[in-house]
Amino acid sequence: MTNPTNPTDEPRGIAGHGAFFQPTNLSPEEAERATDWVRKRVDRRTVDLGERMDDVREHMWELEKEGEIIVHRVTDAHEPRMVKTLFGWDKKIPTTRLWHHKSCGQCGNIPGYPTSLLWTMNGLGMAPGRDYLDETDQTSCTAWNYHGSGIGNVESLAAVFLRNFHQAYVSGKRLGHDAGYFFPLVHCGTSFGNYKEIRKYLIESAELRERVKKILAKLGRLVDGKIVIPEEVVHYSEWVHVMRKDIAAKLQKYDVSKMRVVVHMACHYSKMVHEDAIYDPEVLGGNRAATATGIAMALGAQVIDYSTWYDCCGFGFRHIISEREFTRSFTIDRKIKIAQVEAKADVMLTNDTGCVTTMDKNQWIGKAHEQQYSMPIMADIQFAALACGADPLKIVQLQWHASPCEDVVEKMGISWAESKKRFEEYLEQVKAGKIEYLYDPKLAMSMVA
Amino acid sequence: MATYAEMAEMYEDIKSDFRFDHELNGCLNCGICTATCPSAQFYDYSPREIVQLLWTENVEQIYDAMQEKIWACAQCMTCAARCPFKNSPGGLVSIMREVAIKHGMQSAKDVLRPFGRVMLKLITTGNQLSADMIQPDHFPDWGPNIQKVEGDLKVLRKAIPVKTLQTTETAWEVSLKTSVEMYTIWEMTGVMKQLETMDENLFDVIVDFIEEKREDYEDWLEEHADEKNDD
Ligand code: SF4
Ligand code: SF4
Repeated sequence: MTNPTNPTDEPRGIAGHGAFFQPTNLSPEEAERATDWVRKRVDRRTVDLGERMDDVREHMWELEKEGEIIVHRVTDAHEPRMVKTLFGWDKKIPTTRLWHHKSCGQCGNIPGYPTSLLWTMNGLGMAPGRDYLDETDQTSCTAWNYHGSGIGNVESLAAVFLRNFHQAYVSGKRLGHDAGYFFPLVHCGTSFGNYKEIRKYLIESAELRERVKKILAKLGRLVDGKIVIPEEVVHYSEWVHVMRKDIAAKLQKYDVSKMRVVVHMACHYSKMVHEDAIYDPEVLGGNRAATATGIAMALGAQVIDYSTWYDCCGFGFRHIISEREFTRSFTIDRKIKIAQVEAKADVMLTNDTGCVTTMDKNQWIGKAHEQQYSMPIMADIQFAALACGADPLKIVQLQWHASPCEDVVEKMGISWAESKKRFEEYLEQVKAGKIEYLYDPKLAMSMVA
Repeated sequence: MATYAEMAEMYEDIKSDFRFDHELNGCLNCGICTATCPSAQFYDYSPREIVQLLWTENVEQIYDAMQEKIWACAQCMTCAARCPFKNSPGGLVSIMREVAIKHGMQSAKDVLRPFGRVMLKLITTGNQLSADMIQPDHFPDWGPNIQKVEGDLKVLRKAIPVKTLQTTETAWEVSLKTSVEMYTIWEMTGVMKQLETMDENLFDVIVDFIEEKREDYEDWLEEHADEKNDD
């Protein structure tokens, strides 16, 4: 019998795959019906995988007992707040004594991201050097490169993870604090996802531990001959989430209740090692990861739902650099356009580096294809800092954003033109060496070299 | 074109990665992964296909997918969050990419060429991106508005109120000791070897750079020792 989809019966690989894919020719209604259930169930998983899923932290404690590793604990001194994750497990979020693990994409491209965070911490009365530390002894997680190019491997990612987290563990020493004083706060979503994945592998694989231990020994980064693994891997947006009510109550200056906000949840926050992402019953019924949305709600903004909320932004690691057609098409089609046309949003907030970059920078090019969409893009903490009265340029550094963030500033009742004028005057001061800092620059220098 | 034996060797490399069993637990062929995959919407690429090829040990087509398809994956891990079998198609793609590099596949070299600048930055400084890489002429498609305040990049960076961020060639100031530690990691984990296989020119530039930095660090240590002796 002749195959109806391949009348010549030439070998065509596995039917239905890749280049051999045959269109289903379903009508739009049929297609809708066929995929409807996926859409309905995309919120939380229908099967409670929590029962089948191991909590890696339990094995971590066993390993510590066996003398294999040291666990960098979140202690009472870190004033932790408890949250629930996807399967209802507890997670401890330290709120003070934090070691800022910066993000290269943020610092290089969206500097207002970390500055807004530090500004907010200062506003809440946290003292640099005592309650947080930002220093030069730190590399990026190198996972952007790994996910983009495949250069690197589990061992290199693990060694980088343990090196940086060891530094966090001992960083307080030069300021007279004990080991473990500062707990790492990871700014980047990809670092966060990657570190959690690597932590899992380290806990599961004795062989991997043995291999990286040799490297860490050579670097002088073992403690009593052991590797140091953090009790929790904590993302900055989780800190923002547990502090959201304090931020709103103590710092908020501008009313944002008329602002329509859409949230893009970072994939590497909620989909990588997804069992560890925060799901808060107070936020969207606990059906979607809560960070970013939580702070927008606490500030009183209108959080608007949109059909493509679950989609990735199109960053792609490699794609944003060398396959920009994909990145820009995806982000315009699936994010910017929907946020504007469907949700009629004033601003799109997100909680990661790559998402801000992708969605912020890939709008203008749409004009070439008569895709005239635009949407201000910024991080949750930048929006919060603005609402709390941070200077839009000097602190929130919105001058580096390509999307129309001026509109958000104006809608809050702050004059962009005046802020810009002030900033340009400040640049003259900067040229004369009169720079204002969020913390004493001396604190940053872990060593002179 | 590789021989069957070479293809089989690549498949064995994929299979023997310790993550393999973690990322592949069976497959219902349900297509949920592909339905939520951003790359499947724009490329001739399907995570379900990747998983099926691996699951059915289709050595030739696995090799074929490694030529180009695996590079379409955006590594968002949406598939991993949704697969009812706890598979991670995106994670499997990572393993396949590493194997493609290990075997010096031409396709991998071609795909990675435009990524060279980022690689150089990362390997030498530990930052993957820096302010001087985001200049308007590098990304004309980002439009004329990528900097809302005109001015010299150095001054604009100095106007960031955080000491570590006042740099142009790196995202933040990385101490020399930190960079030197990172070079040791690259060497001890085979990353330098990967680079040599993929791009010899880039590799040579990186090796020179690393040597220079190491010398700077040695010099610094010596000076520092002198200071101590002076005390
Ligand atoms: S979602 Fe999982 S089970 Fe379904 S096709 Fe994809 S890999 Fe297979
Ligand atoms: S990780 Fe890759 S395969 Fe999985 S959904 Fe994202 S782009 Fe698709």
